[in-house]
Amino acid sequence: MFKASIFTSVALALGLASAPAALAGEYPDQPVTIIVPSKAGGSTDRTARLFTELAEKNYEGFEFVIQNVPGSGGQKGFEAIARADADGYTIGLNFTPQLVAHIVSGRAQYTLDSFHVMGNVAQDPGIVVVPADSPIKTMADLAAASGLTVAVNGIGSDDFLAAKQFESIAGVTFNLLPTKGSTEQKAAILGGHVDAAFMNLSQMIKQHKAGDARIIAMLTEERDANLPDMPTALEQGYDVQMRATRGFVAPAGIPDEIQSQLDTMLAEIMASDEFKANAAKGNIFLLPMSGPDYLAYLTDLQAQTQAVYDQAPW
Amino acid sequence: MEYLAIVFSPWALLTIFIGAFAGVAIGGMPGLTATMAVGLLVPFTYTMDPAMGLMLLGGIYAGAMYGGSIPAILLNTPGTPAAVATAIEGYPMSRAGRAPLALKTSVIASFAGGTFSVFILLLFAPFLARQALAFGPAETFLLALMGLAGIISIADENSSLLKALIAGVLGMIIAIIGTDDMSGSLRYTMGLVELYDGIDFMPALIGLFSMIQMLELAGQKSHEIDTSALEKEQKGEKLPRGIGKYMGLGAGTGTLIGILPGEGATIAAFISYNLSKRISKTKELFGKGNPEGIAAAEAGNNGCVGGSLVPTITLGIPGNSVAAALMGAFIIHGMIPGPDLFTEYADRTYPFIISLFVANGVFLAVGLFFAPYLARIALVPPAIMVPVVAAFAVLGSYALNNSVFDIYLMIAFALGGLVLKKLGYSLEALILGLILGPIAEGGFSQGMIIGKGSPWIFFDSNIAKVMWVIILALLVPPLYSYWKHVHKAGKAAG
Repeated sequence: MFKASIFTSVALALGLASAPAALAGEYPDQPVTIIVPSKAGGSTDRTARLFTELAEKNYEGFEFVIQNVPGSGGQKGFEAIARADADGYTIGLNFTPQLVAHIVSGRAQYTLDSFHVMGNVAQDPGIVVVPADSPIKTMADLAAASGLTVAVNGIGSDDFLAAKQFESIAGVTFNLLPTKGSTEQKAAILGGHVDAAFMNLSQMIKQHKAGDARIIAMLTEERDANLPDMPTALEQGYDVQMRATRGFVAPAGIPDEIQSQLDTMLAEIMASDEFKANAAKGNIFLLPMSGPDYLAYLTDLQAQTQAVYDQAPW
Repeated sequence: MEYLAIVFSPWALLTIFIGAFAGVAIGGMPGLTATMAVGLLVPFTYTMDPAMGLMLLGGIYAGAMYGGSIPAILLNTPGTPAAVATAIEGYPMSRAGRAPLALKTSVIASFAGGTFSVFILLLFAPFLARQALAFGPAETFLLALMGLAGIISIADENSSLLKALIAGVLGMIIAIIGTDDMSGSLRYTMGLVELYDGIDFMPALIGLFSMIQMLELAGQKSHEIDTSALEKEQKGEKLPRGIGKYMGLGAGTGTLIGILPGEGATIAAFISYNLSKRISKTKELFGKGNPEGIAAAEAGNNGCVGGSLVPTITLGIPGNSVAAALMGAFIIHGMIPGPDLFTEYADRTYPFIISLFVANGVFLAVGLFFAPYLARIALVPPAIMVPVVAAFAVLGSYALNNSVFDIYLMIAFALGGLVLKKLGYSLEALILGLILGPIAEGGFSQGMIIGKGSPWIFFDSNIAKVMWVIILALLVPPLYSYWKHVHKAGKAAG
């Protein structure tokens, strides 16, 4: 690594780091930039850093620079990845459902074809959570009550989509409260200002275990290993499924031999025990998926999101 | 005791010192903020010992909150929005050659506010965090109103109340640009992705204050600061008597507001400043260089440091954007905010809290020691000052979001702001509207949704009732005196 950085700086000093020289050298001869479409310290950022830590340690010659491009629900970052030179020196992270939601709502300048999907790394299951002293204990209670105020993290977010799904399945209409970030949702639930919230597991698992809030359902197809006693919404008779995923994508068109090098590296790192241990410590739930699998997931998700959007555009 | 030993080990002390010192420098430069510094350094602490990493970040947070006041006083270029109120009093003092006293007041007030808030954090964090939960969106709206009442107090210095109000409304109108959080629709974004998140207030702050100040300096024929007074004051003008009262007021207000979620420090500084003006016996000196105003504002914004960490570490609800970045550092090290921090990770959490006391001590020493030298910054000839600060302004605007767009935004604010300033509109009111407008809007619309369309929610809770009393207390006296003033002028003219 050190050698590589000396080489890079020498190359820069000699003015050799320009494009023709880069083509002549062996990949990689300069640091690879990873675009993270959210702020430093957030869960997507931490996922990226878990990867770079091991990648730099175990792969000779690789050096990574993380560039945080937060804003507009990740759209600024996604656009930046899609626009980047397809030379293998810029890759990035994506997160769902925002990646496809921006396409569906017609705001994105990219499409799924703008990316080469490298694979998924992490997930955060959707949950439904209520204040600790709430009379609502199951999804049936949630469907039976009327006029509930329900907090979701912004319009077009995973929470919003899940709440909309539940509304149409259960035939209820929530008084939806969009918040700016999960922090406001958390404060609203802990302070009892709303009746329920659609959130993600990592945001509330500690509060649930401490008894400050109560999760009433997991929005996954099967029970989650982090909270094995918690029934899914599906078990309770409501087929609402939502999870956030966070994976790696690259701009489409990177030469095959370089792209496959990166794809293999990602798969190998995700399979390592050290990676799994670090993720558990950092409260990141892993869900490894290969590139083709993840692309299929994204395509499917886009179709589902489109259906929700067509019913109730935002 | 063992926690003290961790903090007072040589390496820990060095780490805290570096953090606090760097924080002061970061806070002092236009465009560099504590949020950015902590955000950038969070990944850096990934490989550090957890306790050390947190101490470094805590030091930066404490230092930067104080550092913002230095350029505010010396150059009228607040490094953070929380220091805008400080500039209103500090810069006139600087021009009168009383910069050393202003600097001394600000550092001692910052220390007082910071230390008080950390005491509260150490002793009452879990209890206070529970109380703060009662504070919902409706109360957030009222808090923003309370901050906006500051516009009135900016106004009655030069009695152009109408112009200050127009400037404040203009700020709020600019803040409308961006995504409407309630409906997800876009407002006045003109198809630019850069505007989807609205106008960042930092480029606005840099343009309206740093850049305009430099444009004005560049336009002056001679540098008109009274240097003879500065030479004389080097020996040290004593702090005015009774100023402790204003520091106490600021420290209490700042800590309280810091605990509540939201853009704490700016509101805290303005409300403290406004309150101090109400109780001051020398009201007429406000706006012309009153150290009481500096004391309240600086104690207020530093009070937010400890305050904002109360809900952050107990509930995982960060009190402001810096605390949010700090929370990222906690999580990276596996320390998920909640009761665990005080049991399982007590050997990291308590040293971190204790280290904040040390950080406050460090910036106090740095501030007192360097104040006489810093005061000389105001004497730097414009030929050097203007290009340097202007370069920082451009760099800082870019660095916030790695966005070239923000540089254009900053320049647009500088040009538009210069025109407004020449016409007598208050830029302080404009920035206050720009920062607090969205907070007020968010609180109002969320409150209305929770209240299912009934505005009674804004009067319902006891907290809300108390807040209305304070808002009226802040608004009515200045309006009454303004009315008297106009009435008299009318009579005299008639």
